[in-house]
Amino acid sequence: MRGARSSGWLIAVPMTALALATVYPMLFTTNVAMKTQREYILDRFALSRSLRWDNVTTAWTNGGMARYFVNSLIIVVAAVALLLLLGSMAGFALSHIRFRGSQALFLGILAALFIPFQVIMVPLARTMADSGLIDTYPGLILAYVAQFLPFTIYLMTSYYSGIPREIVDAARIDGNSLYGVYRRIMVPLGRPALLSIGILDALFCWNDVLIALLMMPSAEHRTLMVGVTTLRGQYSNDIPSFAAGVLIAAVPVLIVYLIFQRQIADAITAGSTKG
Amino acid sequence: MKQRILGPVIALVVILASTACGSAKSPGNSNGGAESGKLVVWDWKSSDKNAQNFVAKAKSDFAKKHPNVTLEFVAQPFENYYTLLGAAIQAGKGPDVMLFNGGGQIRDRTNALLPLDQYVTQDKDRLAGWDAFSKDGKIYAAPITLQGHPIYYNKSIYTKAGLDPDKPPATWDALLSSCTTIKNATKLPCFSLGNKEGYGIQFWMSGMGSGILSPAEYDNWIAGKRDWNSANVKKIFATWKQAGDAGLNTSGANSTAMFMDQYTKFEGGKAANVIGLMSDVGGWHEMNPIIGADNLGVMLSPVITPGAVPSLAFDGGVGYGVAKWTKDPALAADLVRSLTSTDALTAYATDAGAIASDKTVTIAGGGSAAAAIAAAIPAGKPALHVALSAKTQDVMGRVSQQLLSGSITVDEAVKQLATADQAG
Amino acid sequence: MPSVRPASAGRTDIAAVPPVALMGPGQAAPRRRRRGHDHLAPYALLAPALLVIVMFRLWPLILGVNFSFTGDGDRNGTPVGLSNYTELFDDPVFRTALRNVGLLVLLLPVAVAIPGLLATFIFLRVPGHRVFRNVYFFPAVLSPVIIGAIFNLLLAADGPLNAGLQRIGLGSVDWLGEPKLAIFTVVAVHIWATFGMALVVFLAGFATLDTTLLDAARADGASTAQVIWHVIIPGLSRTIQFVFVTTMIGMLTSMFGLLFVMTAGGPGGSTYLPEYYIWIQQGQMNRPALASAASTVLFLVMLVVGLAQIGLLRRGRRED
Repeated sequence: MRGARSSGWLIAVPMTALALATVYPMLFTTNVAMKTQREYILDRFALSRSLRWDNVTTAWTNGGMARYFVNSLIIVVAAVALLLLLGSMAGFALSHIRFRGSQALFLGILAALFIPFQVIMVPLARTMADSGLIDTYPGLILAYVAQFLPFTIYLMTSYYSGIPREIVDAARIDGNSLYGVYRRIMVPLGRPALLSIGILDALFCWNDVLIALLMMPSAEHRTLMVGVTTLRGQYSNDIPSFAAGVLIAAVPVLIVYLIFQRQIADAITAGSTKG
Repeated sequence: MKQRILGPVIALVVILASTACGSAKSPGNSNGGAESGKLVVWDWKSSDKNAQNFVAKAKSDFAKKHPNVTLEFVAQPFENYYTLLGAAIQAGKGPDVMLFNGGGQIRDRTNALLPLDQYVTQDKDRLAGWDAFSKDGKIYAAPITLQGHPIYYNKSIYTKAGLDPDKPPATWDALLSSCTTIKNATKLPCFSLGNKEGYGIQFWMSGMGSGILSPAEYDNWIAGKRDWNSANVKKIFATWKQAGDAGLNTSGANSTAMFMDQYTKFEGGKAANVIGLMSDVGGWHEMNPIIGADNLGVMLSPVITPGAVPSLAFDGGVGYGVAKWTKDPALAADLVRSLTSTDALTAYATDAGAIASDKTVTIAGGGSAAAAIAAAIPAGKPALHVALSAKTQDVMGRVSQQLLSGSITVDEAVKQLATADQAG
Repeated sequence: MPSVRPASAGRTDIAAVPPVALMGPGQAAPRRRRRGHDHLAPYALLAPALLVIVMFRLWPLILGVNFSFTGDGDRNGTPVGLSNYTELFDDPVFRTALRNVGLLVLLLPVAVAIPGLLATFIFLRVPGHRVFRNVYFFPAVLSPVIIGAIFNLLLAADGPLNAGLQRIGLGSVDWLGEPKLAIFTVVAVHIWATFGMALVVFLAGFATLDTTLLDAARADGASTAQVIWHVIIPGLSRTIQFVFVTTMIGMLTSMFGLLFVMTAGGPGGSTYLPEYYIWIQQGQMNRPALASAASTVLFLVMLVVGLAQIGLLRRGRRED
């Protein structure tokens, strides 16, 4: 940036302000989580008097957050596994196999992206209830798979289109069936995408509140995000405990983000295009 | 290659396993009315620390009659309670026993509930607050608490402003001038108000209503004859707007949640008065330790319309009802009776700081505030807002926010409310 | 095993168009002798995914549309024709919700321009760009419920933002309580929460930008603004279109969490969106059939807006 040094610094100022704005809310929450209820009522915004982790540990044990954490973990792992499996199969079919109706199917799957959850939540709850799937792990897992499959398929299709046809053709010449190509070529080659998209899907499932709330009404099967909202019941004066719950829910996500930054970015950009 | 087969296999195993776990643990509805069945209870209280004794006492009372029936209490977050209930009602499956707020919420859902009249005859005299859970002459839930709207005030703020802490304002003008005095002396606003959820206007209506409507109008309102165009009804909203315009409320009322910010502010000494509740939260039980039991004052509405007779507004607070789809109605009704047994209610009243629906339960240790409230109960009347449908309350919440922000006039507001009330 | 770079490295043409159709003339490998059961292979590969999507997304959609023609409460299950729909459009709250959708569509360029500009500055190596890249994505990993709860505290009338504003002499504002302002506040928070994703996409687009054009323009003495307008924007056209589509979907479908936590549709119903309306009618108001009617309307709106977007996208691609 020749000769633009000064304007560079000028722009850096609001950008720094924005950067602070992205970080401050979490710092604020951490501060609140350190306070006692009384401290909070008396002054909501002052720096907490001490680094107190009580609220976090209490939320974890008595607040039931430990149980919710495990529930979320199980559900997310299973959902992501299914999403990747179904998504990669469909992605391969749509990107490398010419067959009747593939274009229509692809558009149809994309169209499903435009169905917000609220639109189907009432009938879906009923369908699930009729099938006995309400308040079961498989029910919620299937709901997540249905919710994020279109997006996953889209990303997988995009990624797989980047694999040259020659490789597929070579494998076919070697005598592989299409299933074989899938197993031996697509899956191994797809590993970076599977990892990235898997992380992205995991993020969406982990952070979801609405679907989990509807599908898992009981306390036993509750997921973490829903659990956090229960900490702030109508009648809860205990904002510091709520803040502690928020931390418990957010910290794993932040850790995953810090470790897998690159992969998450790759997954998102897998669907965009070059100039 | 082998590793990739592992993936799908793991997924399959996880799902199969969780199916097993899932179905084994899924509550569903009780199968069979056999004495060794199970009843599921939904509410938003049973996970509270101070409801544990209540639940324990109810369970042991129930176990005396039905030792082999398992009880499962599921506490939902209150914000989503009625949404979840709605989904369950539509699916036609869900809990056997459910907690409800008295008033519009239960009256809107009676088509999913069992009338309880035949089961609760023995309790009708012992408990109070049945009206809030009745519709068309039938009872749909048994009350646990009584809920009402006294006006609390912080005596030390009054003293600091040079006002007599034992003689709260008795007329609208006296109230206005006391607010001015307090503002000048302490810079504090008169009322702590949180109207984000639209509850602020409900409490104003019920807290001040008895001082605004004439006794005859009040009784007509409760009986269902509501003239939204009458001068006094309009006055409810005019005084609401006036309080907002005159700066009597804490700032940002429309974006402050009543629960719990409105009460947190009052307890933190940031306002002189607040219209509160008499059971559970937002009342003497949580305020006493923070403000000081000697410091917490209670007043009824000032006389705003000459000829009005201020009284405490209260109804049945929350109560447990029985779902229509329950397999064994008599069993579920017995559970409801256990939940409203004297022992259970005493535990609840003591731990949660509630006024129990059981007339034989007295509150100890509630300080002068609780005593004043108890003294006002005999002359009390049902709350005005509880008589309204959920739809009317929803509209009222919205227009109240618009009144405070100045985007609507009182006449327009009551017009919308009249329409909503008729349609309901 | 030959290494394969991910698509974002610009290996082939990919966009929201089935690659099959992309292959253009000279399409694909010459037909080969196929094995018998391979005819079914693509369908078998797609079947599980399609099954899930149809059963748990399409079927409920159809059920919902069907349900919207029945009544609520006392008229539960009985067909009532279009009365739910007329009730919807008579309801001022629903009309506000639709108006707000229109507002979101208008604000879309802002939601795209912000990350676009930031990406430009980062690409042009503004001081601190390495830090900015990482920090800006941070909010995108948080759940809307958490974000809403945090901002409730921050934007409160007596909260730190207002306290800060007062200290520098500007008055305090009721960000979430002013009916005319609240919806913009919510949108701003949504943008805060999601701009990181779009930023990453833009940065990827920049990575594939042809820098020779950039240097040439510079050498010709073009100002930064001119460079942006004449070189960067055309060069990134496909990226920009992609961001438009995804941001639109995000704004129309995932602001629910924020609304729910921050404003509950208020003040005075001014921040209602159709998705929130559906939630309230279904639960609080016990009007599931009315909620289904609202769902159908929302779906139609999404479809129209989405198809328009995809149409623009295609037209943009054909221009290349």
